[in-house]
Amino acid sequence: MRSNLLRICFLFLLYAPLSWAASSNSADTHEFLLSNGLKLIVREDHRAPTVAHMVWYRAGSMDEVNGRTGVAHVLEHMMFKGTHKVKSGEFSRLVAAVGGRENAFTSRDYTAYFQQVEKSKLDEVIKLEADRMSNLNFDDAEFLKEIQVVIEERRLRTEDNPSSLLYESLMATAYMSSPYRHPVVGWMNDLQNMKAADARDWYRNWYAPNNATVVIAGDVDPKQILKAVEKYYGAVARQELPERKPQIEPPQKGIKQVQVKAPADSAQLAMAWKVPRLEPGKLDDPEPYALELLTAVLDGYDNARLNRTLVKQEKVVNDVGVTYDMISRGPELFLISASMAKGKTVAQAQASIRKALDELKQKGILESELKRIKVRILSDQIYKRDSIFGQAMEIGTTEMAGFSWKDIDYMLEKMQTITPEQVQAVAQKYLVDMGLTIAVLDPQARKSEASKESK
Amino acid sequence: MNALKKSMLVCFLTFGYLATAHAILPIEKLDSFKGSKGYLVQTKALPMVDIEVSIDAGDRFDPSGKSGLADMVAALMNYGVRGDQGILSEAQIADEIADLGANIGLSVGGERTILRIRSLSRKDLRDRAVKLAAAMLSSPIYDAKIVEREKQRTMTNLLEAETKPEFVLERRFTKSIYGDYLLGNTPTVKSVATVNTKDLTQFHQQFYRSDRMIVSIVGDVDRAQANEIVKTLLQKIPQSGNPIAKLPELPRSPVEPLAQREIQIPFDTQQAHIVMGMTAVTRSNPDYFPLLVGNYVLGGGGFVSRLVAEVREKRGLAYSVSSYFVPGKDTGIFRAGLQTKNDQAAMALEVMSSTIAKFIADGPLPSELLAAKSNLVNGYPLRIDNNRKLLDNVSSIAWNDLPLDTMEVWTKQVEAVTLEQVSAAFQKYLAMDRMKIVVLGAKNK
Repeated sequence: MRSNLLRICFLFLLYAPLSWAASSNSADTHEFLLSNGLKLIVREDHRAPTVAHMVWYRAGSMDEVNGRTGVAHVLEHMMFKGTHKVKSGEFSRLVAAVGGRENAFTSRDYTAYFQQVEKSKLDEVIKLEADRMSNLNFDDAEFLKEIQVVIEERRLRTEDNPSSLLYESLMATAYMSSPYRHPVVGWMNDLQNMKAADARDWYRNWYAPNNATVVIAGDVDPKQILKAVEKYYGAVARQELPERKPQIEPPQKGIKQVQVKAPADSAQLAMAWKVPRLEPGKLDDPEPYALELLTAVLDGYDNARLNRTLVKQEKVVNDVGVTYDMISRGPELFLISASMAKGKTVAQAQASIRKALDELKQKGILESELKRIKVRILSDQIYKRDSIFGQAMEIGTTEMAGFSWKDIDYMLEKMQTITPEQVQAVAQKYLVDMGLTIAVLDPQARKSEASKESK
Repeated sequence: MNALKKSMLVCFLTFGYLATAHAILPIEKLDSFKGSKGYLVQTKALPMVDIEVSIDAGDRFDPSGKSGLADMVAALMNYGVRGDQGILSEAQIADEIADLGANIGLSVGGERTILRIRSLSRKDLRDRAVKLAAAMLSSPIYDAKIVEREKQRTMTNLLEAETKPEFVLERRFTKSIYGDYLLGNTPTVKSVATVNTKDLTQFHQQFYRSDRMIVSIVGDVDRAQANEIVKTLLQKIPQSGNPIAKLPELPRSPVEPLAQREIQIPFDTQQAHIVMGMTAVTRSNPDYFPLLVGNYVLGGGGFVSRLVAEVREKRGLAYSVSSYFVPGKDTGIFRAGLQTKNDQAAMALEVMSSTIAKFIADGPLPSELLAAKSNLVNGYPLRIDNNRKLLDNVSSIAWNDLPLDTMEVWTKQVEAVTLEQVSAAFQKYLAMDRMKIVVLGAKNK
């Protein structure tokens, strides 16, 4: 379409101003540590008179113990069920009254709560959130109703969702000892046997200022914020946290396979390799960055390798996707998942995926492919600033994985230095059968069909 | 608690002033070009721009038996165009978008098709993104091989979707509400199979005309640049064409005995999925605000609505339950739904129905109305606090022919809503003996 020379010039032009923009985070971000151990991070963004307020607890499903899977998420639900001062349901009513949007989410790594409000209402939500950091007080009857809600949530998201069932089995197969093998929502039997006391124990153990990071982003003055945060969160006492065992997954010694039969029309295939994540203190390790770029080379845009060859040229799969996230507390998988094209088998899809990976391992990738990905990463740095909430999310997830928000810019710079050879090297080293787990969804017809409907 | 109560009171007293406390960015009307309309909101803080082209070419124009045609006309614009320097293949288009660091996305709804561009605002990059989008809009080639491939993919996706409770429920509910009206039929394997290259080209010629397009722009461009963007986008698109038949009216959901209105679909999921609803109002209807405020109380207000209180908080019957109005430009509906364990389905449907019936009959309490207004007014800044949300607003204002000061007067219109207006509007538009109900699962197990 255009000569290579022109393209190189163009890319150079795009690089210069963008790399400046990407490294402008530090001036408008402020970090404070309260004497009770609570960390506060404030990101100033004065484009609109709104604020996102989030509190992140470094306690996710990976901190759970056997028989009590799902308790981190159950407690997240119970956090709306009242404190000594605020009765059940009142938290949400008060946030709603000031025009706020609120919710909470639990992952393997953390549990987080947030409100978005017009800026003059920030003190209100800080006060409420700080209150439930130490004063949660729900009765057994509330727990018994809410555990049913959580069980309905599991039915909705997992039991009746074949893709979720497949992922659940994949994780439980790939990991033998790591707590990452358990689903965040918990196993159904654990939920059915959970007691209010389990949720209370979880709260007592992990909900402490020295296990929390408050992230506030938006149209705020950091000094005023610090005062409010000290006033409300500062009153909460530091406490000793339970010991976290490392629970390092032993090295995998060969290929693992699992099959899931569930109602569906097409078969699905998931291939997951054990790969390294970025470790705090080792920001110069090139491998995690190379794996991120490999992900994008395979699946970062419509003409990326797997979509082009498997969906468009060979027509062996209907959809294909690749995921990897170098930022996490626990072990990482490099996951390729696909649903079959009509008339194609899982074996054919697997062969095509392996062929595409072998080609990449043998011949490497083009400089132009990598440049394309890097440009996208840079432009995304601009786009992400359109969302205050997105900025707070990025800071929180990074901190929870044991990094500092200050590392984000360094990581982006490091990403830009990765070479095609380094991307090829991680593919050769890690995308091998020794660390591979394969999960297959074997589609089953539903017993009842839509055609049998009646009035 | 005392301290909390006091500050709540303060916020109730002051919420009325909020709307004037912060300047709301104005919408500028751009020069009319080839019968199109154009709107701009300038935001300079970030070096980026969001551009939307709304095309009056939604699913409702699918010819009989060819449901899914409008979707494919739009989706396949990505996969080959005739540009200034000859044909651009799907691979070249994808590479160009990636090289620009831009996003170009397409979506098709019942009423309109939407093309969205997100680009850095630097002129060279922006120009190329706009030119590429212009070629997609005006000159897609609909290569027969690619059409065949994408048809197969769509049919495979449909077969998969037909095993999913949400999809089956939605398809049946849509048919139930709209009946033989244009929006009643959703794509099926059979309807997609009949679509051919000629259908795509014809549909494109007929509906992709500049007099059926609205361009909305938000971001770091000035008025002159915005006018230039509109011109570039629409340069090669014909201004008009053969007359298009006037849309028929969607008749109001009729009063019917329950047996006529309720459909049960046996489905072996753990949960039953339940939806109920009926025809309602368009966005430009003067009763839109009383219905919006009232529905916040009934089932729209996140964790604090009546439906959440009755279904989830008091009885633990469902994880998610809500109600909402879907106001379009020409038609609109009301709907409410939940999912629950199969053996609780009858009970959950009864709780949901009686909660809605009571609300239609009695309306909200004064305290509930106050809480609803407080949330909507205080929370308004959250609806317009970034470029993407501003574009959503401009787009809705432009599509629905609303006044350009809609964002400025929004909170005033909410505050003006009275208890009587809410009750009157709910009684005027909703009625339990008109509600269509679909229960998917095993209700009578």
